[in-house]
Amino acid sequence: MIQWVNRGIRTGIKTTVYPTSPENAAGVTPGLPRGGGHRPEEIQALVGCCPTGAIIGQDNQLSIDYRRCVHCYRCNRQPSETLLWSQDYEWAGANETGDPRRTFGKEFNRSAHILVVDAGDCGACLNEVKQLNNPYYNMHRLGFFFTPTPRHADILVVVGPVTDHMRVALQKTYEAMPHPKKVVAVGACALSGSVFGPSFVSEAGVTKILPVDVEVPGQPPPPLAILHGLLVAVGRRSPAVLFSPATTRQLGKNC
Amino acid sequence: MSPSTILLVLFVLLCVGGVILSCVQAAERTPNIIAWVSGIAAVIVISLGAVSIVNPVPFSAVLWNIPSVGPILLRADPLSGLFLLLTGLVFLAASIFAANALLSLVGHSNARVYAVFHFALFISIVWLLIASDVYSFLIAWELMSILCYLLVSFPRSLPNRTLQPIDAKLLRTSEHQEEPNAKPGYLLLATGEVGALAAAVGLLLLAVGGGSLDFAGLKAAAPSLSESVRWSVFLLTFFGFGVKAGLVPVNFWLPYAYTAAPAAFVPVLAGATLNLGLYGIFRVNADLLPATSAGPGIVALVIGTLSALVGILYATTDNDLKTLLAHSSIENAGVITVSLGAGLIFAAAEKPVLTAIAFLVALYHLTNHSLYKTLLFVGAGTIERSTGTRSLDLLGGLIRRMPWTASAFLAGTLSIAALPPFNGFVSEWLTLQTFLRSAELSSVGTKIVFALCGAGLALTAALAVTCFVKMFAMGFLGVSRSDQAEEAVESGSTALVAMGFLAVLCLLLGVFPTYAIGLLDRVAKPLSHASAASALVPPFFARSPGHTELPGAFASEFHDLGAQIGQSILPGPGLVILHRGGAANPVVFAGAPTYLIVILAALVIVTFLVVRLALAKGRSIRRQPCWDGGILRLLPEMTYTATGFSNPVRVIFQAIFRPTIRENTRQTVAEHFRTAINREREEVHIVERFVLNPFRELAFRFARLVARMHQGRINAYTGYVLLALLCALLLGLFL
Repeated sequence: MIQWVNRGIRTGIKTTVYPTSPENAAGVTPGLPRGGGHRPEEIQALVGCCPTGAIIGQDNQLSIDYRRCVHCYRCNRQPSETLLWSQDYEWAGANETGDPRRTFGKEFNRSAHILVVDAGDCGACLNEVKQLNNPYYNMHRLGFFFTPTPRHADILVVVGPVTDHMRVALQKTYEAMPHPKKVVAVGACALSGSVFGPSFVSEAGVTKILPVDVEVPGQPPPPLAILHGLLVAVGRRSPAVLFSPATTRQLGKNC
Repeated sequence: MSPSTILLVLFVLLCVGGVILSCVQAAERTPNIIAWVSGIAAVIVISLGAVSIVNPVPFSAVLWNIPSVGPILLRADPLSGLFLLLTGLVFLAASIFAANALLSLVGHSNARVYAVFHFALFISIVWLLIASDVYSFLIAWELMSILCYLLVSFPRSLPNRTLQPIDAKLLRTSEHQEEPNAKPGYLLLATGEVGALAAAVGLLLLAVGGGSLDFAGLKAAAPSLSESVRWSVFLLTFFGFGVKAGLVPVNFWLPYAYTAAPAAFVPVLAGATLNLGLYGIFRVNADLLPATSAGPGIVALVIGTLSALVGILYATTDNDLKTLLAHSSIENAGVITVSLGAGLIFAAAEKPVLTAIAFLVALYHLTNHSLYKTLLFVGAGTIERSTGTRSLDLLGGLIRRMPWTASAFLAGTLSIAALPPFNGFVSEWLTLQTFLRSAELSSVGTKIVFALCGAGLALTAALAVTCFVKMFAMGFLGVSRSDQAEEAVESGSTALVAMGFLAVLCLLLGVFPTYAIGLLDRVAKPLSHASAASALVPPFFARSPGHTELPGAFASEFHDLGAQIGQSILPGPGLVILHRGGAANPVVFAGAPTYLIVILAALVIVTFLVVRLALAKGRSIRRQPCWDGGILRLLPEMTYTATGFSNPVRVIFQAIFRPTIRENTRQTVAEHFRTAINREREEVHIVERFVLNPFRELAFRFARLVARMHQGRINAYTGYVLLALLCALLLGLFL
């Protein structure tokens, strides 16, 4: 047992430094494409190569709806003109409602209990959410805890595109949670339906069912992005924008 | 004429009148005639029993002096009195319930026959209890035995509702239950006759040794008997009466008979005739021939523990309401026998106070068992009548359809599960307390037996809670698991009255045990020649201050705790039961079920007030439906069944149940794609496996051997006749 202690001391703290300072370790994020100035024909080509319609070209301006991006890298591998990919992970966007029943006070800063609902997830987002519990991401140090019952939950984390079979269960779960409560939608499926889209079995996103407070894009989002989403939910980090450039946010609503 | 004589004459007149009335009147009125006439007769028997308990001079009369045989004697001492009282209570409930339960017989001519059997059984039981000589005792016993057989195999009309169970396996079991079957009746009769024969031989052996036929003479002659005669009498009567009481090696008939008996008769079978077996054991082995060695007591202790364990194990895993209660009767008879055995051991060790306590506890538990088992069987009967099924797998959710039945049934369930504040708790707690007193015995071997049996009894008590949680939860709570349970209607007022007064009695015996102890002490005193009441409820609670056998400081401490409260307003000895030990350890245990219920009620009220006034003040409460895991709809198939609830017990005790499991994987597309697996499980009761079946095998083997004689050749038969004649002649020549 002493060996374990010694080894532990020698190994030191391996937990990520985020959110105190930025995490620079390799591979913590798959990155997201960033828009920029492009020629109209290039824009046409980029829009055509995106399978989920995340790249939107309008008025010779290229913008990206992150809620649809599935990290397929096709726009990165374009032979003619590639999009730049950023290597950050603070992706979570917020949807402020001003409703007091959905606003956390200071009490929740370091103690928020999370209920995860798998609403038809493929397993990827759920796996990334699960990583928050491991020693590297260790969300307990930030005061986040998983709970199995909605009666104890403050934050509802939803993964998956909300299949018809899970719709009622999700609504019942939300109603069973005490006020104040927040909903964090994790993953492109939960935000927009992603590759599943609105179809005969799914509703294309949590926003159609529940009022969503924090949206974490990515397919799947890396654990740090989810952690950022949770910190946004309790008000300890500022939210990111879900469109690039930010001015074209309205476009996404029509899709 | 003494009041007892008047009561007895009135009772007999009423029963005869009831028989005549039911034969003369229209068949539709038979249920009501039974309810009223037998109900009033039962009240008379109750008063007769109460008079016999309270009266210091037992009622005694000569019924008929047969010149060559001797007098037929009647005598009602306190022991008979208690059993009369219980018989009366049970018959009162059963008679009231009969007005409802017998309606299904109306339209058939056999309702009248049922009435005749019913009154005849009532008379025979009362006669048995006050018979005071070997002849009339045995005649009454036989009469009772045969009437029980007739009533158990009484043809029942099937429920008119068709069963629509949720799956095929359940269909099979419920059909099986409704099949009119001759086996239970024959088994009851055969086993009962073997028992009666053994008891008769035992009693006659006693009579030969004592040189008398009446009980008083036998009791006087008992001390002069040799040890071998004592052992023979004990074993024969314990085995013989044990058949009726449902003790372990000879109880295979009991679950079948209780399940097959008509709903109106099962309460009597469980509440009154089971007691008769125990009455026989009490009468012969505690009253007439008190034990002088620890042996008989140890036998009773071990047999009682085994009965309790086997009974409760099979009760826990059974899903038929009536069979479950039948197995639980075996358990309760075991618990009573355990206390009785403890009493016999204490008597042999010459500890009269401990003997009195043990006998009193046995009688207390016997009283309780009669009350709650009658209540539960009336409940089971009314549930079966209302839903057409007894399978706990098919019931469920009845509390919403039959709220009154459910509350009365809950009282019975809490009593039988030995939970406070009901009566089962008091007697079972006292039983275990009595076991602790075995430390005062000198023999180490006896102490070890006590310790092992105590452990078995504790296990029984734990399993009993599991069993009856299952019974109530699966029957009354949750969702209805079949259409019949869905369409159940509240039972008639007669059943509710019958269950209601028994439930109240159960509660009273649990809340005011000190008064019950005072009454039962009058019964136990003649058996043990010492008073248990002054040991269990010491007089210092009533009279202040001090008590000669206890330290003064100690007594005053109890006074400070309020042990004497109640003596000024109620005519009683206080409300605390004190299990008093020796000088080194003055108190083994003390408890007051009366205070327990007061404190429980106070805690509930305080919690309610605190939540209502303090915590919820100024806050808005949002009410949400119960969290169900987000399911869309709750179907009966999705809920826990009785089988599922008791399965852990079934798995843990697999070595005892020894099930044979047949798996049939029909409709197999390929080795790895089974579309349906049919799994059948069959259990043979452990007693049947080890006692009945080997015995039956042996009998059949013997029969086959004898059958070889019969070859159908006339010459051979002539030869047999000649041989028999020769044997007879030779015997005559030499004898």
